[in-house]
Amino acid sequence: MGDSKDRVWEVFRQEAEGDPMVHGGSVRAPDEELAMHYAREFYGRRQESHRLWVVPRDSIVELDDQDLLNPPFDRSFKRPGGYIIKHKLEAAKARARGGSGG
Amino acid sequence: MDDATREALAELLLTLADDEFVLGYWDSEWTGIAPMLEEDVAMSSVSQDEIGHAKAWYELLAALTDDDADRIAYGRSPGEYRHAALMNHARTDWALTVARRFLYEHADAVRLESLARSSHTPVAELATKMRREETYHLMHFDVWLRRLADAGGEARDRLAAALERLWPDASTVFTPLAGEALLVEAGILPEPLDALRRRWLERVVPACEALSLPVAGADVPPAADGRTRRTQDFAWLHGELTMVARSEEAATW
Repeated sequence: MGDSKDRVWEVFRQEAEGDPMVHGGSVRAPDEELAMHYAREFYGRRQESHRLWVVPRDSIVELDDQDLLNPPFDRSFKRPGGYIIKHKLEAAKARARGGSGG
Repeated sequence: MDDATREALAELLLTLADDEFVLGYWDSEWTGIAPMLEEDVAMSSVSQDEIGHAKAWYELLAALTDDDADRIAYGRSPGEYRHAALMNHARTDWALTVARRFLYEHADAVRLESLARSSHTPVAELATKMRREETYHLMHFDVWLRRLADAGGEARDRLAAALERLWPDASTVFTPLAGEALLVEAGILPEPLDALRRRWLERVVPACEALSLPVAGADVPPAADGRTRRTQDFAWLHGELTMVARSEEAATW
């Protein structure tokens, strides 16, 4: 099945215009042209995709260093959920309802 | 539409359907044994497209002649099929498959471009729809022709041998039809088939020459029996493709 000259290509799909591109899977192909054809066959021939991106796997810059991605100290305050803003939002809405004085 | 024109249209539809049907069956034989997994899926899908196109043409024909599409597809003897002699050859090797698809896809593209302007609306609509799908077929086999030619060695030798073998039959896609003059007069067929053949030659010959592939015999006009000549290879395929339909002739599938 294929030979050592084949490369692996990662395929990203968009279901409808404006949707985010989502990783669909990968194909093996010797060049860009056939990679595009095979991406179309595997991820687009049943009208399930509006757009495909076909990217050589070796062009992807990968970061999986857990020291960088999951630092050992508690960083929960950096998440948006760390701030309770519900009452501030309500106050803002009430001001907006109150009219132009704002 | 008068009876003679209707008969001529039926003949045209049968040739269109049979070309796609027989080629679709030959190439579906690659399912499971194509050169690589991805190509296996691609080839199977392209073959399935052709069977789908054949179905659409058979249905148009069935509506015109008050017949049944399945009966036309599976209920005829080998001698009643009207595919071009190009489709008489067995699947053979990958190079022959690529060479035949390259020759046929370009012929079909030229034919569909013309039929998209047919005065007969159902034909024009179907041809327009099919052209969108055939664009990919054309791209795919152009790529494969170039790949095998550029690879050199055995791949190139096999491709060149396949082309030498197929050229004499390639133009049979444009074999004149008995009722062709009527179809052209009615605008159902916007141009004579020989004009389409010349346009096809202007595309396939330079493409082969650019890759230093053989073109001898390309411009030989199709023989009169280009769509009636049948081979042992096709007789075998006919047995295969009608096997299930023949097993229970009265069945409703």
